[in-house]
Amino acid sequence: MNTLPRTRRAFLRSTSAMVALPMFESFGWTRFASAATAATAVARPRRMVFLGFGWGVTRETWYPDIKRTGADYVLPLGLKPLDRHKADITVIQNLSNKFNNEAHWGSTFYLTGANRYAEPGQSFHNSISADQVAAETFGKGTRFTSIQLGCEQAEDSGHGPGLSLAWNRQGKPLAGMNNPVVAYHRMFSDESTPLAERKAQLRQKRSVLDTVLDDARSVGRGLSKNDNDKLSEYLESIRDIETRLSKEEQWLGVPKARSANPPAEPTGEIAGYEEVRIMYQLMVAALQADSTRVITYRQPVESLLKSIGVTFTGHNMSHYASGPRMEASQLRDQKQSALLAELIDRLKATKEPDGTSLFDHTCLSYGSNIQSIHYLDNCPTVITGGGAGVKHGRHLAMPDPKTPLCNLWLTLLQGAGVPATAHGDSTGVIKELVG
Amino acid sequence: MTRRLPLLLLFGTVLAMAADATRAALPERHWAFFQSYCVDCHNADKQKGKMRLDDVPFAVGDIPTAERWQKILNVLNAGEMPPEEEKQPAAAEKTALLEDLSQMMVVARKQLSDQHGVITLRRLNRREYQNTMHDLLGAKVDVKDLPKDGGGGTFDTVGKSLFFSSDQFEQYLALARKALDGAIATGPKPEPKKVHIEPEIEANKRITGIFRGYQMGGYRMYKQWKASKGRPPSDFGLVDEREMDFRKLVWDRDTPPYADYLSRTETETGAFLTVHMPNPQVGIVIPDEMPPGDYRIRARVGVAPKTPAARHYIEIGMRGERTDGAISLIACEKVTGTLAQPQTLEWTLTLPKPSKPTKADIGSQTKQVNYLGDRVIALRERQVNSRDAAVYRHMRSLEETGFGLEPALWVDWVEWEGPIVKQWPSAAHAEIFFKGAGATQDDAYAREIVARFAARAFRGKEVKGSYLDKLMGHHAEGRAAGRSFEDALKEPLAVILASPSFLYLIEPAAEKAAPRELTGLELANRLSYFLWSAPPDATLLALARSGELRRPAVLTGQVDRMLADARAWEFVTSFAQQWLHLERLDFFQFNHRLYPGFDDSVKSAARAEVFHTLATVLRDDLGLGVLLKSDFVVINDLLADYYGIAGVTGRQFRKVNVPAGSPRGGFLGMAAILAMGSDGERSSPVERGAWVMRKLLHSPPPPAPANVPQLSRLAGKLLPARELQSAHMEQPQCAQCHRKIDPIGYGLENFNAVGLWRTEEVAEVAKNNRVIRSKAFPIDPKGRLPDGVEFADYFGLRDEVGRREEALARGFIEGLVEYGLGRPFGFSDEELAHEILTQARAHGMTPRAIIHALVASKPFRSK
Repeated sequence: MNTLPRTRRAFLRSTSAMVALPMFESFGWTRFASAATAATAVARPRRMVFLGFGWGVTRETWYPDIKRTGADYVLPLGLKPLDRHKADITVIQNLSNKFNNEAHWGSTFYLTGANRYAEPGQSFHNSISADQVAAETFGKGTRFTSIQLGCEQAEDSGHGPGLSLAWNRQGKPLAGMNNPVVAYHRMFSDESTPLAERKAQLRQKRSVLDTVLDDARSVGRGLSKNDNDKLSEYLESIRDIETRLSKEEQWLGVPKARSANPPAEPTGEIAGYEEVRIMYQLMVAALQADSTRVITYRQPVESLLKSIGVTFTGHNMSHYASGPRMEASQLRDQKQSALLAELIDRLKATKEPDGTSLFDHTCLSYGSNIQSIHYLDNCPTVITGGGAGVKHGRHLAMPDPKTPLCNLWLTLLQGAGVPATAHGDSTGVIKELVG
Repeated sequence: MTRRLPLLLLFGTVLAMAADATRAALPERHWAFFQSYCVDCHNADKQKGKMRLDDVPFAVGDIPTAERWQKILNVLNAGEMPPEEEKQPAAAEKTALLEDLSQMMVVARKQLSDQHGVITLRRLNRREYQNTMHDLLGAKVDVKDLPKDGGGGTFDTVGKSLFFSSDQFEQYLALARKALDGAIATGPKPEPKKVHIEPEIEANKRITGIFRGYQMGGYRMYKQWKASKGRPPSDFGLVDEREMDFRKLVWDRDTPPYADYLSRTETETGAFLTVHMPNPQVGIVIPDEMPPGDYRIRARVGVAPKTPAARHYIEIGMRGERTDGAISLIACEKVTGTLAQPQTLEWTLTLPKPSKPTKADIGSQTKQVNYLGDRVIALRERQVNSRDAAVYRHMRSLEETGFGLEPALWVDWVEWEGPIVKQWPSAAHAEIFFKGAGATQDDAYAREIVARFAARAFRGKEVKGSYLDKLMGHHAEGRAAGRSFEDALKEPLAVILASPSFLYLIEPAAEKAAPRELTGLELANRLSYFLWSAPPDATLLALARSGELRRPAVLTGQVDRMLADARAWEFVTSFAQQWLHLERLDFFQFNHRLYPGFDDSVKSAARAEVFHTLATVLRDDLGLGVLLKSDFVVINDLLADYYGIAGVTGRQFRKVNVPAGSPRGGFLGMAAILAMGSDGERSSPVERGAWVMRKLLHSPPPPAPANVPQLSRLAGKLLPARELQSAHMEQPQCAQCHRKIDPIGYGLENFNAVGLWRTEEVAEVAKNNRVIRSKAFPIDPKGRLPDGVEFADYFGLRDEVGRREEALARGFIEGLVEYGLGRPFGFSDEELAHEILTQARAHGMTPRAIIHALVASKPFRSK
């Protein structure tokens, strides 16, 4: 973008990825409140959850026997804790991102399938992640368009560059909430400020944006195209806030939704195992309250290991050889699976108003771009939940050992009702999943 | 280049010679490989896997061709092709191809991502932002919640890699508001307080309480219960038999350290710092209601007689929220006072406003009170920063002494004093409210304040009408809401600090011919962020405005002045950290059982040695070769003790001559460099060799490929590192690089994982800190450099590397170009690098000469 529209509203209209914008000043808040209520009255919404765990798994003991596909397969050591949900999960083998050659980047391209070197004159490039594609459809009617959760020390946890699993349309990283306490307050704490004051605050926030845009406009006028591209990240950030503010305005006076069993505010020293468990609880609560329908979580490894008594760093653990390091890797696989099993329990136990469960309407994926050690093929992949119409209870091995992981994302997106026709390097959908 | 292979064959000899480091081309001799093993299935008629290899260009000029070759490289690395049932290439043949192919891809990627000299708009990175805020508001803002910069393997100054994420704007705004709240102070000057603490009062009460109550009481109950022969434990006050047995264990194991502590007469007038129980730390809690600012902490301490000198170091740090005894280390100091004549140590700490109230965490059984929060300071004997390590040492020493380690440090008293307020209102406040306390607080004055502050924040750029009007609107809103003149100014100033003109280094595009010469102000900014990572000072701005700065002699003079300024430390540390990849030092926990001496204090001193050495070379205008081999080291007392160098007192780093024959002197003998080349347990000839190739020899090996089959034949066997590496030679995918990398690393095998000299290597299998099997092997330090030159041992290696000063200089220059210009070093910079090198050569190859040459170069002075 070389020139900026003259007014803030024109600036907002200039973007295509925007929600429908109400006329800020002329609409009363009651109208938005009723609109919000109306949104919850329709059929149970679909939700999508993407979990990424960075460093790969123990290849020897995580994958089911590739020769035993279909319903009659055995969950190996690393997936054993998921046994009670065996009929409701799908394990898929032979998916990978063909462009990723970075053996320490488990999350950077996980949901995007991008080619780092696709752009001439750049040494890093990325594209939109599957969750953000979903958010464009599912995020319109919720308080939060999407929620990104993350962890501290993500670099040490095998995730690679990025701020969360999510990358926007422009291929820029989206920030995540890396701490359960922060996430809790953002999602569930109600403002104690009176309504009139909050309206004034919104107005004040808007006028701040208006001021910085004035500076951005004068700066942008003199810049080269290349520099303006860079400055557009700043503008994108302002635009995001505008979108959020207009949503806030819509939701002004609507108390933050609570699930039936609201989670307690996390307190004390939460790291590792407990941290993942609490994040999972918050996720379920946010979905149940319909605060958002799209969540990604870039899970901790470094702190998880510490909390389960492993003294190796994540890097040392992941580059295992037989012996204590491999045992550490196996223990981590099991603990992670146990946490996932608990999350599935919780999704199943959470009832929707129509008597179905949250599990029935949620599509959840669990995996990483790294298979194991330095291997990037056969990315570990588990799918669960009824949100994308996947027929569960099976172990699938794709006939092509290099089936694009993006085929899975495309299948799930379409299954959940997102009008996507391609994603990343997808070559089609995985018919076996839904058939 | 899309010529087909048969045609290329005609130019065979030409191309074979052209296989240099700057051309992304594969030597034509490899055609034979493809002909023998590939094209039968991948040709014009038959394209198995939709892949055709008979027409793939041997030179990479575009991304699709690069992708084709990447695919070929990947299947070869993964061992997928040729298929098992087909004819297989000989190992040597495959190794040779993989080596050239990997190299070609490195060159191709670099070439295709070349920005051709274009410098992308730079956002202030976290360091620069922090320094710039400090410059404006006099306080250090906490930037840890801002997204991390860099990634993708570039310096944190590279504009292209400095993203702006959606939360970031609000973070900047929030940080600015907080900093302004601190800087703009309208209240009375904070009253400093001074509190004196005799640590034995709390320590003795606690230790006696546990000893008499929990320990002796528990044992009494145990004895009565045993004597009763069969009555239930509950009759004696404990729940069950297990608890009874546990109290007996506590009596046997934990009481002796408590009894020993209390038996020492020195505990009547002071407190010992024990490694584990009963008194591992002396705590100082500065109350939450005390204002943030600088505080002085003093401690009067002495060492106990007959304790080893290595234990005569005291550490000070913040406890924070951690309940595991670990601290955020602030300093480590050698104690020379004695019990009879203690010495007083002093530190100045900057304390934040507490993020949440300090709380007391009381041990459920021991009733020991731990304070947690941002205002809790701890003193302890230097040790590995984990309770596990302390417990391990304590348990081991129990076996020897019966009570644990002899206490080595004694604290007579501690005190804190503060806040230390040098000026009130602060300098930042006075700078903002430039007319002083008596000025008329009207709108005109407010407007002047805002305009002045914006001009300063925007590093000299004038602020124009509508933006200024809008800023003033925020002030008016604040006033209308009933805020004071000063308070209402915080919001417009905060908005300035979240505006693009502040957050980005703005350099408008050339109107006609690009590139254009920088204006004086732009040059001042570029220079200042290069050498200080901070905004230009008044001198630089004045020279920029007058146009003087663009005169070569003035520019040179300014570079010298700036390098002599304390702010240049920011350049030394940030550049060296990234250039040498020192972050790897933090990748691993070092095994405390094997390396109890390599704790956080030593680790940070080892890192500082690298920085201080570079700073010394810069200050004394020495040649870069000194970094490879020198007859001096730049160390402090702690590191001297670690290296076994006598006669160094004081924690400041200084030049110390080393005797001939010492392995120290030069990068290869530095603990930080050697420790990075380990995994915290064992030395890694691979990591060390690859580092030498990357950083010293300017011949980086290609990145480790994905999907290479794992070598497992030797895993878990007790073998010397050298022998374990030999497996690398068995597979072409590994041998292609490792035959160059590993033999360099062998020359450094005389250093263990934490950089201490050894003559034998011990391989072991341990579980839960117990060694199950172990075996010692003599070190074989023979090796070879990638160019074939052989060396007999470490000293031979250091001599050989020491002769290659130009290679180091090349790497240094490339790093400096990237760091200073804020864009990746590309092929189009070859000429620039050559020019700088030529000039540096004429000036003894000093880093100072290199910096001067870069600053004087056209790219540095152009947009």
